[in-house]
Amino acid sequence: MPSSSEILLHGLFWSALTIGTYFLAKRIYLRWRQPFLMPLAITPALLILIVVTADETYRDYIRSTGWLVSLLGPAMVAFAVPIYEQRALIARHWPVLVVGMLAGTATAILSGWTFASLVGLDDALRLSLLPRSVSTPFAMVVSSDIGGAPDLTAVFVVLTGVFGAILGELMLTILPVKSALARGALFGVAAHASGTAKAHEIGHEEGSVAGLVMVLVGLLNVLVAPLIAHGLPYL
Amino acid sequence: MTPRSLALRFRRSLHNSRLAQIAAIFVFWGIGETTVRLAGLPVPGGIVGMALVLALLISGRLSLFSMRRGAQWFLAEMILFFVPAVLAVVDHREFVGLLGLKILFVILAGTASVMAVTALTADLYYRRRLAAEDRHALFE
Repeated sequence: MPSSSEILLHGLFWSALTIGTYFLAKRIYLRWRQPFLMPLAITPALLILIVVTADETYRDYIRSTGWLVSLLGPAMVAFAVPIYEQRALIARHWPVLVVGMLAGTATAILSGWTFASLVGLDDALRLSLLPRSVSTPFAMVVSSDIGGAPDLTAVFVVLTGVFGAILGELMLTILPVKSALARGALFGVAAHASGTAKAHEIGHEEGSVAGLVMVLVGLLNVLVAPLIAHGLPYL
Repeated sequence: MTPRSLALRFRRSLHNSRLAQIAAIFVFWGIGETTVRLAGLPVPGGIVGMALVLALLISGRLSLFSMRRGAQWFLAEMILFFVPAVLAVVDHREFVGLLGLKILFVILAGTASVMAVTALTADLYYRRRLAAEDRHALFE
């Protein structure tokens, strides 16, 4: 049994290392500004390298750093501000936003389930993959609601973000959509914060739509999660 | 010092201090968590806290400037909050290989589908609404 001071020391060490790596990753990105160096990609990559090298288990690591993950709770409260700031956009375009989000969410769930079944993934993976499109705090809640593994969902959310920004830009060149509303919704529904950052690069209006839609679609997913959990056994 | 001037001072320091705003967000989260636990609601406390802040902002009881800087901090540093959970992948060495490729396929194919359906649906509906507005304008 490790003593309580050892546990405290272990906690401080891994927390400091995690926070330090995160700020280092941000500096690396600011210095070189390459898409593959985005903090969303290199922070986990660097930490995985460190944890694997140190031969640390995930169980010990998360016991030390889990308090950071619990900050996703207050982060959810913070989403009230972007919703309020975009109230003019909601008032003007809410029918289109609602239709786009419903279509996108239904597609996310059905496509995730269909493709995962197609390649023969087991239930734990299939369920953890369903909420991959929405922002992490919402995705992890949905995952635990429907019986997935929230930490695996976090992995899939990050992968979706990393590839989603690039994929979205590609899709815009193929799809015949002209309105900023639809182009922004594409990023916000499918690729959360990473997509939203890309949408801001494309245009101011696209960025605002993506940011708003990202939050609303996260909320929508949390609210329909109990329905998904009950509906899936019939698929 | 009157209670009124005290309240004004409090509001001014809340407008100026990001740290105070972060603390305020924690308080709203705590209220949300307590409500959820007492009422047995099936949603996370963070959502209830968010609904409360939104209601206060809309009703004008809370100024945007009392929340904005604190909220932006939480949203800007979000990666730090979820990155420890991503380390779960070190317990899944089986992802290195065919299984990992399958998962990647599901994510890429799924994300492309979501993007196509969302953008096409939203665009189609947006154009229909525009056309309907034009028709109304003609008859007016």
